Amino acid sequence: MNPITDDDLVLYRYRDGLDAARIEQIAAALAESPALRERYAAIERAIANFDSQDVEPDPDLGSRLWRRLSPQLEEAGVIVSSSRGMLEHLRSWLAPPQARFAFAAMATVLVAIGVGFVVGRQTVTAPPQVASNEVEAAAARVLEAYVAANLRATEGVLLTASNSGDASLLEGNRELAQSLVESNRLYAIAAVRAGNTQLAAFLRQLEPVLLSLANQPGTATIQSSEDLRHFLDSTDLLFQVRTIEARLDRTGKRRADHDGDSRI
Amino acid sequence: MADDETRWIARARAGEAAAFRHLVDVHGAVLFRVCFRITGDRALAEDAVQEALLSAFRHLADFDGRSAFSTWLYRIAVNAALVQVRKRRYLEVAWPQGEGDAAVPFDAADESPTPDRHAMSAEISRDVDAELARMTPVERAAFVLRHQEGRSIEEICAVLSLNVSSAKHAIFRAVRKLRAALEAPGEPA
Repeated sequence: MNPITDDDLVLYRYRDGLDAARIEQIAAALAESPALRERYAAIERAIANFDSQDVEPDPDLGSRLWRRLSPQLEEAGVIVSSSRGMLEHLRSWLAPPQARFAFAAMATVLVAIGVGFVVGRQTVTAPPQVASNEVEAAAARVLEAYVAANLRATEGVLLTASNSGDASLLEGNRELAQSLVESNRLYAIAAVRAGNTQLAAFLRQLEPVLLSLANQPGTATIQSSEDLRHFLDSTDLLFQVRTIEARLDRTGKRRADHDGDSRI
Repeated sequence: MADDETRWIARARAGEAAAFRHLVDVHGAVLFRVCFRITGDRALAEDAVQEALLSAFRHLADFDGRSAFSTWLYRIAVNAALVQVRKRRYLEVAWPQGEGDAAVPFDAADESPTPDRHAMSAEISRDVDAELARMTPVERAAFVLRHQEGRSIEEICAVLSLNVSSAKHAIFRAVRKLRAALEAPGEPA
């Protein structure tokens, strides 16, 4: 018979991960050997200590969870609330850049027609709304380009922090993270003002990570890099950064192409 | 899955706020308990439950009904709890708190003068807490799922995306750490 290890006894304790014959062998050996029984009892005592670490949720848990969840679900367009239903539909419809552009173009045409009708009866001048729309599009293009560049730098900071053990490189990385914290915050505010709440929420989510990298002690350990790697793996943060970065690049290019076409 | 729950899920899929609220009320406490067992911290457990529910509700269309809704939620919650523990460990290492701050997941035992037996018990409790804090998130989760949640090793493999050998070894390491705490009270671990 194979010797019975403590690991076997742990599996025996749960009657799991062992075949029936092995369970029988262990049961027989336990009946015969006081020394084995003592080893088994020691495992039982150790495990029993864990049972004291338990908790009951407080009665307000459901309400508290709901208070935090409901605005997030509404923002994500998962909940269609009666009061905000139409607004949410409109907002989610407007969220994709293509649709936003289509809406802006349609609105511009309608405004131009309206303005043209009124103004054309008095004087012949170019509709001011068209110029205003061009300015807005240019501003959006500039914001997207800056945010994309910021995300590229953020991606570099995360990769360096999780993969490099070089002290001088990490020091530079920390300084870069410090500078990114402020710009990241500003772009989040700008994104809110531009009506892009999804981008703003994502940028806000990056802030604590950047802050922790900016405040990392000079003696960052291998463990901290490994923990960061685990964190990045488990949250898909790098993937999200790259996806949004690519999306902003594509949107920017589309806007630039469109502007180029409209000027021809 | 009970017909009643199927109806609530269908209403939630249609975007009805009351249905989501109902699902939170029904499943919140169970998810909180397992998340607490994994994180060892009320606030982290609550964050994990909230993240899990948000993620589940956002991806409700992906729930195909092959497993029970509670099992589907459970798996998401366990992984959300692991994310919380890893995030905390990363932030603690990268941005350490002062000694005595709430960085260690379990509250330290009462250190006021007490009779000998109480002192001994508090000492063991501290050692156990320290060993618990030393378990990796996966060791702790695997052990919690096997010991407290009564999940089979096969189920643990599915929930934690581990193979059988890794799941068993995570449990073995967790038990060894608990034994180390119990067998050497008072000694620095």
